[in-house]
Amino acid sequence: MKFETFEAANYNTILATALAGGTGPDVMMVRAYGGLENVATAGYLEELTTDSVPALADFAPSALDAERVRADGKLYAVPFASQTQLVIYNKAIFDANGLAEPQSWDELVALSQKLKDAGVIPFANGTATAWQNETVTFGLGSSLMGQDFYDALMAGEADFTDPRFTDALGAIAEVAAEYFPDGFIGLDYPSAQQLFASGMAGMFIGGSYEMAAFQGLNPDIELGVFAAPGKTADDAKLVGLYFDGGYAANAAGANKEASIKFLNYLASQEFGQAFANMLSNVSTVPGVTFDNALLAEVNDLNKSSIPYLMLAHFRYGEPSGSVLIQGEMQKLFSGETTPEAIGEALTTGLAAWYEPFQN
Amino acid sequence: MSAEATYYDRRGIMGTLGRDGLLQIILIANTIIMLAPIVIMVFSAFKTTPQIFQSPFAIPDFTHVGNFLKIWTQTNFLRYLLNSFVVTGASMVLILTLGTMAAYAIGRYQFTGSTFILMFFLAGLTLPLKLAIIPLFMLMRDLNILNNQLSLIFVYTAMGLPTTVFIMTGFIRTLPNELEDAARMDGASEARIMWSIMLPLVRPAMVIAAIQNVVPIWNDFFFPLVFIQNDDLKTLPQGLTTFMGEYTTDWGVLFSGLTLSAAPIILIYIVLSKQFIAGMTSGAVK
Amino acid sequence: MPKLRMTGRGLWITILIVPPLVFVALFIVYPIVSAFAYAFFDWQGLRRGEFVGLDNFWTVLFVEPYRSWTVNAFTHNIVVFFALMVLQNGLGFILAYALWRELPGARFHRVAVFLPVVLSTIIVAYLFKLFLHPLFGVVNISLKGIGLGWLAQPWLGQGSTALWSLIIAQAWHMVGFPTLVFLAGMQRIPGEILDAVRMETESEWVKITKVVWPLVAPSATIVFTLLFVGAFNWFELPYIMAGLDGSPYGSTDVLGLYFYRTAFGNVSSGQQDFGLGSALAVLIFIFIAAVASVITVRLRAREIQL
Repeated sequence: MKFETFEAANYNTILATALAGGTGPDVMMVRAYGGLENVATAGYLEELTTDSVPALADFAPSALDAERVRADGKLYAVPFASQTQLVIYNKAIFDANGLAEPQSWDELVALSQKLKDAGVIPFANGTATAWQNETVTFGLGSSLMGQDFYDALMAGEADFTDPRFTDALGAIAEVAAEYFPDGFIGLDYPSAQQLFASGMAGMFIGGSYEMAAFQGLNPDIELGVFAAPGKTADDAKLVGLYFDGGYAANAAGANKEASIKFLNYLASQEFGQAFANMLSNVSTVPGVTFDNALLAEVNDLNKSSIPYLMLAHFRYGEPSGSVLIQGEMQKLFSGETTPEAIGEALTTGLAAWYEPFQN
Repeated sequence: MSAEATYYDRRGIMGTLGRDGLLQIILIANTIIMLAPIVIMVFSAFKTTPQIFQSPFAIPDFTHVGNFLKIWTQTNFLRYLLNSFVVTGASMVLILTLGTMAAYAIGRYQFTGSTFILMFFLAGLTLPLKLAIIPLFMLMRDLNILNNQLSLIFVYTAMGLPTTVFIMTGFIRTLPNELEDAARMDGASEARIMWSIMLPLVRPAMVIAAIQNVVPIWNDFFFPLVFIQNDDLKTLPQGLTTFMGEYTTDWGVLFSGLTLSAAPIILIYIVLSKQFIAGMTSGAVK
Repeated sequence: MPKLRMTGRGLWITILIVPPLVFVALFIVYPIVSAFAYAFFDWQGLRRGEFVGLDNFWTVLFVEPYRSWTVNAFTHNIVVFFALMVLQNGLGFILAYALWRELPGARFHRVAVFLPVVLSTIIVAYLFKLFLHPLFGVVNISLKGIGLGWLAQPWLGQGSTALWSLIIAQAWHMVGFPTLVFLAGMQRIPGEILDAVRMETESEWVKITKVVWPLVAPSATIVFTLLFVGAFNWFELPYIMAGLDGSPYGSTDVLGLYFYRTAFGNVSSGQQDFGLGSALAVLIFIFIAAVASVITVRLRAREIQL
C-alpha cells in the first residue's frame, strides 16, 4: 500500500487530475458538501451503502449527509472528522483575571472589557485573511442566530434579511470593533494565531482544529473552549458544526473489493478511536471516547449545534455563500456596509442559484 | 572645450549647479528608498523577534546567527535552494543550446522558410504564457510530468527560446564569413565549423541571453504554484511561501529566510551589475 | 552567406532547427491555441464536455455574479496601469534624467535603483507585507515612534489603502527597469543635437519636452507596452500580499487572481471551471494584444513624426 499526502489548498485539483488521468488512488480522502460533489458527480467514486459498509448505519445522519450528493441522495464516503466553530480561550489568562465562561452576550462583553482593562487583547482574531471572516461570524454568532432561524432558513420561510441573522452580525461587529486587536482588519490569520498562542490575547474564535495548532506553537498553553453565548443566559448555546471530509473508494479502482474492506475498517470504532487519540480530532465514528479532556468537551458541545451554515448549505453554486459572507463581513468591519445591507446582498446574491430565494 | 569632451563636461547646456543639486538630492533620496527595505530585511535577520518589534532600525549584533541556524537545520530551505539550482541550471543549458542551434541555422544559412521560422520564434516573445496555464496544466498531465520538475524546465526553456533566438540571430549575422569559408575549403564538416570556429565567437551574446533569462527563471513562482505540489520538489520562491506559513510566529526567522533567498542573486548582481543591467534591459533597449 | 547546396547540409539545418521549434510549438503555441479552443466547451472538472459556443464568454461578461467580478477586477487593473505609469515610468524618467548627468556617485545610484529589480516578486511581496503589518510592521511602529500614531493604518485591511499599498510595493520593485531603459535611450542622443538646442533655448523644460523626450520615444514605446502587459498579467504580488480572494472584499482583486480562482478554485468555493477560466484568459489575451498593438502603432507613428 502506498500512501501520499498533498497540500490542502490544491487537494481537489490534484485528486481530480489523478482520477481523470486514470491514475487515481484506490482509497482516497475527499472533501464534504460541495467539494465532494465535484468529484462524485463525475462518476469517479464508488457508491457506499449499509450493505457494503454496515457500520455506516450507526453514524449520525448529519455526518452522512455531508458525504452525499444532493441530486441522487447517494452516499460516497465514510465521514472521518467533525470540526466545531467556537471560542477557544487561554485558561491561565482567565484565571489570573478571575473570569468564567460567559453565559450571556452581556457577560461576554463584560469579560472582554475586563481583559482590555487588564492590558490583554480580548480576542486575537484578525480579518485580513478572507476565510477568517466566516469562522469569526459563525464561531461567535451561531447562538445569536439561533436554532429557530436555522430551521426557518432551511424550510424556506426565512432568508438572510431576517433580523435574527442581521442583528447577530451587528453584535459581532460591535465586539470586533471594541475587543479585537488594533487594526484587526489588516491582521492576517497567522498573525492572529501568533497573538493567541504567545499569550498576548485571551480568546480566539475559530475551529476546533486550532487547538492542536496552538499547542504546537506553545506546548505550555492551557486551553479551554466554550460555545459563544446567545443574547441571554436562557438562549441555547450553539456551536457551528461541520464535517471535514471522508474516505471514498475509486469506482474504477483495480482492487475494489480490498478498498471496500479497507473502508469498513475506516468506519470501525477501532480506527475512530485511533484517529481521535493520535490526531486530536473529533472522530465521527459513533461510540469513540476521548482521552483528551478538551476533545471530550468539544464533543459534548457538539450535541448542541447548528451546521456551519455557508459550508454546509451554500457552497453548491456561484457565488458561494462563503465568498459572499467573507467579503461582506470585511466591509462591515471597515464600516463600509450595514448588517441589513449584508442580509440583502446575501439573499440576492445566492438567489442566482439557490432556489428558495428565487421569488 | 575639446572635441572629445563628454556630454557631462558641457554642463552649461543642461542648466546650473542648482539644478544638479536638486537632481543629486532626488538621486540620494531615491537610493535611500531603494536600499532601506533591503537593509532593514538584512538587519532584522540578525535580531530576535522582540528586537525587531522594539527597534526595527537598530544595527544588530551580526554574530547572532541563531535565525540562520534554525533555517539551516529545521527547514527544507536547502532543498528548495538546491531545486532552484537544478531547475534553473537545466533550463539555462537547454535554452542556450537550443537557442544557439536555432539562431545559428537561421543566421548562418539561407534556406526556404528561415524568415518564417524566425517570425515563429519572435511571436513567442510577446505572448503572456500565464494565460495559457490551463492547457499547459492539461499538457503536463498528459505528458505525465505534473509534480515533476521537468514540467518547469520545459516551460522555462520554451519561454526563454524566443529572446535567445532573437538576440543570438542578430549577433550571429554580424559575424564575418571568412573563417567559416576557409574552414569549409579545408573540408571541415558543418558541425565542426559551428563547434570550433563559430561558437567561441558568440559567447558575448550568450552571456547577454543567459542573464536575461536566468533572473526570471530563478524568481518564477507562478508555474511551480500550478505544477508542483510535493514539498521536496519546490523551488525557492514557492518553498518560501510554505516556509513563511510555518514560521509566522518568529519574525527573526522570517527575515533571515527572506535574506537567504535574496542573497544569492543580490551578491551576483553586485559583482556583475553592469552585465545584469545590460542583460535584463536588452529586450527593451534598441 | 553560403547557399544551401547539399542534402547533408539540409539535414544539418534540420537537426539544428527542429528541437528548438518543437519546444516552442509544444509549450507555447499549442497551449495558447488550445486556450482559445477550451473556451468554447463546457467543462466538468478536468473533463471536456459539450461544445457550447460563446456561452462561457457570455457568462463572464454579462451574467451575475461573474459580470460584477469581471468589471471589478478589470477596473483595478486599469487603476494599477495608470498608477504605475506615473509612479514607475514617470519616476523612472526623472531618475534616468538625473542619472544621465553623471553627477558624483551616479554609478552607485544606478546600481542601487536596479537592485530591487533582480529580486523575486515573492520576496518583495513578503517584505512589504511584514513592513505593513498593523501591529508589528515597521511602517506603523515608525509612525507611532515619531508621534504620528494617528496615521498608522491597517494598510492591507481596508479598501481605501490596500490596492495602493500593493501598487507602491510594485513601483518600488520595478522602478529601476524603466529608469535604466530611459537612461540607455538618453545616452544615445547625439551631442550635436544637444549643442544645437543650446543655441536656441536656455529653458530646461523646453529641452526635456522638445528634445530629450521625443528622442527617447522608442524606449518609451517599449516601456509602456511592457508595463501594460505586466499590469494586466499582475498576479504574484497581489497573490502574496492580498490573497487569492483579492482581500479585503475584492478591493485588490485583479484579472490575474480572478482568472486563477475561476480556473483552479479556492478554499471558499468548491467550484473550478476551466471553461469560464479559459474564456477569461482569451478575453484578457485579446485585450492585451489589441491595446498593446495600438500603443505600439500610435507611439511608433509619433516617433517618426518627431
